[in-house]
Amino acid sequence: MAARRPIGLKQALGYGALIAVALVLLLPFAWMVSTSLKGNEAIFAIPPVWIPETLRWDNYAEVFERMPFLLYLRNTTVITVFTIIGTVGSSAAVAYAFACLRWPGRDMLFLFVVATMMLPLQVIMIPLFVLFKEFGWLNTYKPLIVPAFLGGGAFNIFLMRQFFLTLPTELFDAARIDGASEWTIFWRIALPLARPALVTVALLTFMFAWNDFLGPLIYLSDQAKNTLALGLALFTGQHQTDWGVLMAASILMMVPVIALFFFFQRYFIKGFTMSGLKG
Amino acid sequence: MSGFTAIAQRIGWVLVAIVTVAFLFWTPGRDVPDDGKTHIRYWYIVGAQDDVPYHARRFNEVQDSIFVDATPIPWNEHERKILTAVLSGDPPDVVSQFVPVVKWASRLALEPLDRFIEASDLDTTDFFPALWNEMGWQGRTFALPINSTSYALFYNKALFREAGLDPERPPQTWDEVIAAAERLSERGENGRLTRVGFVPDYGNLPTTQLMAWQQDADFLSPDGRTVRLDTPAMRQSLQWIADFYAAYGVDNLKAFTSGLGSADQHGFMSGRIGMAVLDLSYLEQLARYAPDIEYGVAPIPTFPGRPTASSAGSWWLAVPRGARHPEAAFAFMRFAVQKRIQLEEVAATDEDLFPANRFAATDSSFLTSPEMEVFARQMTVAHSPTVVPLAHDVFWREFFGAQERVIYGLQTPSEALQQGEAVVQDALDRASSYDAYVRANVSLDGEEG
Amino acid sequence: MRQVWERLKTNRGREATAGYLFLSPWLIGFFVFGLYPMVMSLYYSLCRFDVLRVPQFIGLENYETLLTADPYFGISVWNTLVYTVLRVPFAITGSLLLAVLVNQSVRGVKWFRTAYFLPSIITGVVLSVIWLWLFNPSVGLVNEVLGWFGIAGPLWLQSPDWSKPALVLMGLWSIGGARMIVFLAALQGIPDHLYEAVEIDGGGAWAKFRHVTLPMLSPVIFLWTVLEVIFSFQVFTEAYVMTQGGPLNSTLFYNLYLYYKAFDDFEMGYASAMAWILLVITLVVTVIQFRLGKRWVHYEGGV
Repeated sequence: MAARRPIGLKQALGYGALIAVALVLLLPFAWMVSTSLKGNEAIFAIPPVWIPETLRWDNYAEVFERMPFLLYLRNTTVITVFTIIGTVGSSAAVAYAFACLRWPGRDMLFLFVVATMMLPLQVIMIPLFVLFKEFGWLNTYKPLIVPAFLGGGAFNIFLMRQFFLTLPTELFDAARIDGASEWTIFWRIALPLARPALVTVALLTFMFAWNDFLGPLIYLSDQAKNTLALGLALFTGQHQTDWGVLMAASILMMVPVIALFFFFQRYFIKGFTMSGLKG
Repeated sequence: MSGFTAIAQRIGWVLVAIVTVAFLFWTPGRDVPDDGKTHIRYWYIVGAQDDVPYHARRFNEVQDSIFVDATPIPWNEHERKILTAVLSGDPPDVVSQFVPVVKWASRLALEPLDRFIEASDLDTTDFFPALWNEMGWQGRTFALPINSTSYALFYNKALFREAGLDPERPPQTWDEVIAAAERLSERGENGRLTRVGFVPDYGNLPTTQLMAWQQDADFLSPDGRTVRLDTPAMRQSLQWIADFYAAYGVDNLKAFTSGLGSADQHGFMSGRIGMAVLDLSYLEQLARYAPDIEYGVAPIPTFPGRPTASSAGSWWLAVPRGARHPEAAFAFMRFAVQKRIQLEEVAATDEDLFPANRFAATDSSFLTSPEMEVFARQMTVAHSPTVVPLAHDVFWREFFGAQERVIYGLQTPSEALQQGEAVVQDALDRASSYDAYVRANVSLDGEEG
Repeated sequence: MRQVWERLKTNRGREATAGYLFLSPWLIGFFVFGLYPMVMSLYYSLCRFDVLRVPQFIGLENYETLLTADPYFGISVWNTLVYTVLRVPFAITGSLLLAVLVNQSVRGVKWFRTAYFLPSIITGVVLSVIWLWLFNPSVGLVNEVLGWFGIAGPLWLQSPDWSKPALVLMGLWSIGGARMIVFLAALQGIPDHLYEAVEIDGGGAWAKFRHVTLPMLSPVIFLWTVLEVIFSFQVFTEAYVMTQGGPLNSTLFYNLYLYYKAFDDFEMGYASAMAWILLVITLVVTVIQFRLGKRWVHYEGGV
């Protein structure tokens, strides 16, 4: 509606702020894109050259030459899709138990869940690795995927729980009085209302799984099973790094993330279609 | 509500489609082809070599009982990758790594090689002593050195001439370095440094480290129990560095070096640094990015009356403990360190590798220029950077930490060195006591039946 | 037995049963994957242990050394605290401001949302390369822009005084977009009629923000304050790739020191003791936050 009116001062100010912030946030991207089109000599020119004299599109071609990009893309997609399904599903269920159901020991246990986030991964990693080895899961995707289905991590549980807490309890109690089962309430009432939180968890999980480097590095040892993040790491060496190719590969790896975000963002806009529900 | 269901369904279908397609193209795990050969897995770290290393390719060509499957592993976090591979009980058969071997050997992560060496025709005196000495731990050998690098002083002859210095007489002592640096340095109108003759930590080898070796600093008592960091040699070296920084201003020098880049923007190539200690690979970079620069390569300066020194840092090959085919792995390693293969490898790659085999390094096909001869001579005075084997990383962290505190004027050399010495000593005590415990309780015999 | 059955039949009992059922994925996950590593790390904290050799039990020695003799323990705790205090308020207000900006109903706002989100998808080596270049004192963009306003920029990552603020700034830039989404989702959840009510009462933009937006966002603000503190206590990657703890140990954060101990020095037992000390500190801080949170966080549900 607002867009049809002639642009007023308030809107002009709004646009001004939007554009100014966007410039600050996007400048490093411009540098990334520009670097991805440069040869090594132009990259280190001082002062920096924004638009190189000759655009080196070869950097992009070289990404496909030097790693099986599509295979790694496929591997990364498989891991990411399963991780998202597992994380969103299980963290929503667990969070529902913590936020909307009353049972003995709940608050103590929740603190315990949060506490599992506080132990640095560095010391958990080695015993966990030994555990997966005992399960015979090394060099498979199981260590990367299965834990997602079992709670999806304290962070996501916490995030979902806080969201569920903002929903009015009367809604659930009314459904209970009507004789709805807890599963029905969860599936039919809580989940649809939690759409913005679900999308947020899905997005954050996507970003984590897509970019995860250390997990695939230690659990996978066949090159054919590598992920994009692992493939990307092979472009940087101790002394020599082909910055142009590395940036080109990074940009290629980002494209799906950007596309998905652009597509999904409309799902947390107008998150609550049933307005008047709250309050 | 129906809107949500419809969206959920649509997303669901997209996911199902993606997963189905993904599975359609699923490739099963690597199968070892049944070709009657022994297949060994070789992990090499990217950054040392780009493609499959020459020695692996050549080995597969010249014989047909063993096949080397070479896999690159990322430079980033490679130590954790190797660590977990050993922990998994099914590590690769050969890994390439660089110093210190002791770090892995002392933790029983590597297979001892002595029985293979004895059974082979390998003459261990073929290697540069500084490199070979790093391969052992407690009387056993755990790795073979493959290649190294060597360091020397690069100086810009044109700048020397411009500053009124003799371009054929590079500085030989550290005092001469100070004098030459002063004449080479220039400031802009706002007082900012635009050119500096020498910056102690700019280049590939920190100056303090060199100075300590040049004065015979030994950092560990002969029994291996007492750390010595606060020594006259170290105090003098730190004082030299601190005076150097003080003469130009710490922040001025840091701001100056931060403006230097890589490739043709490197301080030495861009003519903004007159002298620097750099490694062999810099020759190739100069040829590529700055073919016109007039430079000289000289031995690293030292103190009057002291021999010069350099550092030895070697890439090595080793068999992780628990590897399936140690014998075949050793055969491959033995092949890779031969004089002939090392020379072929140097010729085949465009990286400037320095062969660990000293006969390869002194061969006329390798020593093709006076510069290369300087590098070869520097290699003979190289010292191993593994000075406190059981507390290696702590030692070097404290070493450079002490230097930094002195440069910033927070402590005198003696105070800084004493503080560092205490920390390293603690770490060494803990490590020694743990080592003794393990040796008393676990059989260390790696030569299984 | 009979009593239990009777209780199960009541509503309360049914709800509790459902509670445990919904909880079961986490419970299974915890007992299968969570418990063993936690117990082992607690045990290792009482040992000398280098991952590959047998652990040597030494009782509380690691804790004693850390708390009484290790000079870097105090330094890393201090650095981490300063970093947290600098970062958390900026991270919360910064992301909230971004969310408010992109919550305007103007044409093309979704492009801005995508643009603001973009920085948070850059990670790892690429992220550090970009920021090393931005913060370069001589040729970096940050100092160049400061120069336009006549400000001589500091040495940033190479200055003991400016290294922490530099890392905070980088953190704000790189994850601000991801946090923005969470705040945006919460902003979108505020029903319009609440704002209309303020308008009817004659309230302006500030009144709307103060009496509607802030209370309605308080659960999300609370959540992210708690999370940001936990994450800041564990800050690692930025310092590991960009400064390695320097200059003058000014970015030697707790988790970075822990990492050096665990994987450079192979003192996994010592690192485990550090981890458990951190857990206790974080837990105390979090419990305090939950207590304080009860006073200012506004829940619709209020279970």
